[in-house]
Amino acid sequence: VQPPEKPLQAEEWNKLRESFQSPEIFEEVMFNSMVRYNSPIDVAKSLLTHMAKSNGDIAYNLLLKYLALCVQQGQTSEICDVYDILKIRFKILESGAYNLLIKGLTNSDKWRMALTLLEEVKKNMTPSRTNYESCIKAASRHQEMNLAFELYHEMLANDLVPTLDILQAFFDFSRGMKGAELQKELFGILSYLRENQIYPHKTFMRSIKLWFESIPGENWKGHLTNIKDSGQCPVCNHQLEDSDLTQEEYNNLRERITRDVIHGTDTFRKTSPQEFEAFQAFVENRLPFDIVIDGLNVSHIKPRRMQCENLFDAVNCLAKDNARLLVLGRKHMLINSSNWKREIMKEMQNKADFFFAENISEDDAFLLYATLRSGQHCKFVTRDFLRDHKASLSDSLTRHLFRKWQRGHQIEFSPSADGKHINFTPAFRYDCVVQTTGDTWHIPYKDSFEEKYSYRAPRKWLCIQQQR
Amino acid sequence: MQSANVLLKKIIRNSVLPFAAQHGMKKDLFPLSRTLSLSLCLKQDNSGSPSGKLDLDEWKKVMKSGLQEEVSETVSKQKEHSALAAAREILEMWRLAGRSVPENITEEQLKTFMECPSKSAKKKYLKYLHLKEVHKKNDKRKMDEKRERRLEAQKQASETDETKRNSFMFLWANAMDKAYSWRVAQSMIFGQPLIFDMSYEKDMSVREVTNAVRQIVLSESCNRKSVDPFHLHFCNLKDDSLYQKEFIKHYREAWGKLLVTVTDQCYTDIFPKDKLIYLTADSPKVMKTFDHDKIYIIGSMVDKSIKTGVSLARAKRLGLETAALPLEKYLLWNAGAKNLTLDQMMHILLTLKDTGDWKKALEFVPKRKYCGFVNKPVHELKKTLSLINTLKFGKRQEEARRQFAKNYSKKLIQK
Repeated sequence: VQPPEKPLQAEEWNKLRESFQSPEIFEEVMFNSMVRYNSPIDVAKSLLTHMAKSNGDIAYNLLLKYLALCVQQGQTSEICDVYDILKIRFKILESGAYNLLIKGLTNSDKWRMALTLLEEVKKNMTPSRTNYESCIKAASRHQEMNLAFELYHEMLANDLVPTLDILQAFFDFSRGMKGAELQKELFGILSYLRENQIYPHKTFMRSIKLWFESIPGENWKGHLTNIKDSGQCPVCNHQLEDSDLTQEEYNNLRERITRDVIHGTDTFRKTSPQEFEAFQAFVENRLPFDIVIDGLNVSHIKPRRMQCENLFDAVNCLAKDNARLLVLGRKHMLINSSNWKREIMKEMQNKADFFFAENISEDDAFLLYATLRSGQHCKFVTRDFLRDHKASLSDSLTRHLFRKWQRGHQIEFSPSADGKHINFTPAFRYDCVVQTTGDTWHIPYKDSFEEKYSYRAPRKWLCIQQQR
Repeated sequence: MQSANVLLKKIIRNSVLPFAAQHGMKKDLFPLSRTLSLSLCLKQDNSGSPSGKLDLDEWKKVMKSGLQEEVSETVSKQKEHSALAAAREILEMWRLAGRSVPENITEEQLKTFMECPSKSAKKKYLKYLHLKEVHKKNDKRKMDEKRERRLEAQKQASETDETKRNSFMFLWANAMDKAYSWRVAQSMIFGQPLIFDMSYEKDMSVREVTNAVRQIVLSESCNRKSVDPFHLHFCNLKDDSLYQKEFIKHYREAWGKLLVTVTDQCYTDIFPKDKLIYLTADSPKVMKTFDHDKIYIIGSMVDKSIKTGVSLARAKRLGLETAALPLEKYLLWNAGAKNLTLDQMMHILLTLKDTGDWKKALEFVPKRKYCGFVNKPVHELKKTLSLINTLKFGKRQEEARRQFAKNYSKKLIQK
């Protein structure tokens, strides 16, 4: 239904209502379309008046819809009036009303009222992160940075994940302000990005850059750049942090992989205890490896060729420089078939160690174990993103560790353009996170907001350095 | 008491006139609101004239005048205020806001609601309760309608000998029951065993266990009514387990008289291992024929979050043979997981046992999951299927066209 353009009299509303196919939901439908068409609020008011006069009451959900219309149009005084009415009629309000009220008020000069509303929400439930977002944005827009940070810490304490918009707002509205405390807080946000391996998007990155450059008397300068494979920044020649884990982190990760990924709730789900023991013994006897290869994954790279030929190419390619290779596969590869020729398999076994798991076992788990057991220098080859294994880890800290380790140790590959050989993309030699040395900052960023492939680390960086 | 209050509140809010009548006993508490509501009616009469400018803010006055009733009521309610009451109030507000929230909620459900770990879990639980309530209401309405219709029919046919036939029907149903029981009793001596493995309680949520038991109850009933029933075994069923409690909830006294073998022993303790075959969708082996000498095991697990390999792991641990239904071979699979419900498995196995006809047996796979029986080479069918799907979901149309063009040109080259 198209809402009317001008306020209507009671009879006119009645007429409209009767012509509507299901009169019992007429008001609801009408309000919905008013919100959709952004009708003038006078029209909505005339309907409310008509309803109030004929029923003596207006249902809560209709008041909410009217409130949504007012919020949409920034009608602050109306929002306050609706709030008064809601307060009088109802003992408590639910989250929908609070969301609308807070959103509406924070965009006006009555934004402080929204803070008292936030307190009210807290009495019954935890406010949502968008509630906090509105309030923090309003506070920082009015240069009340202390208040904004107070709210920010409060939401972190409530285990809410701040939106990128909140973080960006802090940088946007702190521009040109001086103060050691403020600077410390903003550096705190950057280290939050680092700890959670969050990459800012382009506009957020720009806000960070502008803030740095605006700090009075500190003379920061930012450049956009791509980091070389060696991990050196072309702008300031600074060497980025390497991706090695500390010994403690490494041991921790290894233990957790064995416990959560390989054993999980039931060792029989991915392998069997006998098989895993046999594999452990096999690995211990031949340690350490330099590269561990997921044989079946590699063998599927070029679908037109025989699978064992693909694997053969890959092994030959990686076997340079006396690297010790371990290829993981399944027992069915040993049976002479159209895809797996016995002679080629024999020849390969001279160049690399092979372990064949049962056909129903998961070789990925073995891949992770063998690589981790061989030490920090050992890399692994697979196109698998290993997301399911990351998901079986039980806490986010270990998942972050896993991600970091994976970035630094996974060799990906792809067929070359002419399809003749395989290209290997070496693992990152540097760690792809926000990092600082005090007078330099290096911040990786995503090109757009939507880019959300968590496994792909960005290649673009913001380099900020302080000139003395 | 709570819901009564809420109801009263609603009545007050929605209409002014019945107010005095409903609150006969409380009348002296709020004389003010009564006069206000009367004045409201007067106002309504005045505004009847079509001329005159609209006062757009008039609704605010009306809304604000409702103040007294609420306040006095809150005062009387305050003493029973607690966390539960607060949750109840929030729920009521959500209901008013038009969310899917049940109208009535018991103390127990309210506690479960408050224990939900996250906002979305709370939302889901409320929606579940809401839908349950709606279904219940609809069922009740249908029952009432049916009863009315029956009463009417009886009235009309009171002269004829309708009643006699009814009693005959009753006797007939009774006899059928006896016949069924006789058959099942025979199967308990001579029949082929079929095992339900009840060892998955720790892998399931409470609701999944409830669903599993319901599916087993359905399976048991269709087994009882079949021509040649299985001898059902419920193995690994521990006393005081959730399964057991749910069974008793479903069967009540009949649980003790049920013609199945219930034991807390494992099937490997009862039957020779080489006769057992564990049926699981994760099995690498595909069942070719139904073997009348083997003993099939079905895992009593409803697994909504698709935990792969749980039952396969169990069979591996015990060193049992496994098998999966040949769904891929006979059906052109469309969508959905390959794990079937327990009653579907039961139907399929019973049909196989009686006829050995896979096509007939696999009729019991839900229709939405497959597109038809395989009569052409599978890869050809798959091509048509993907074409159908792309036509159905316009989004991927472009992609399909490109794919098609590519295949087509390939074909041309090959020629």
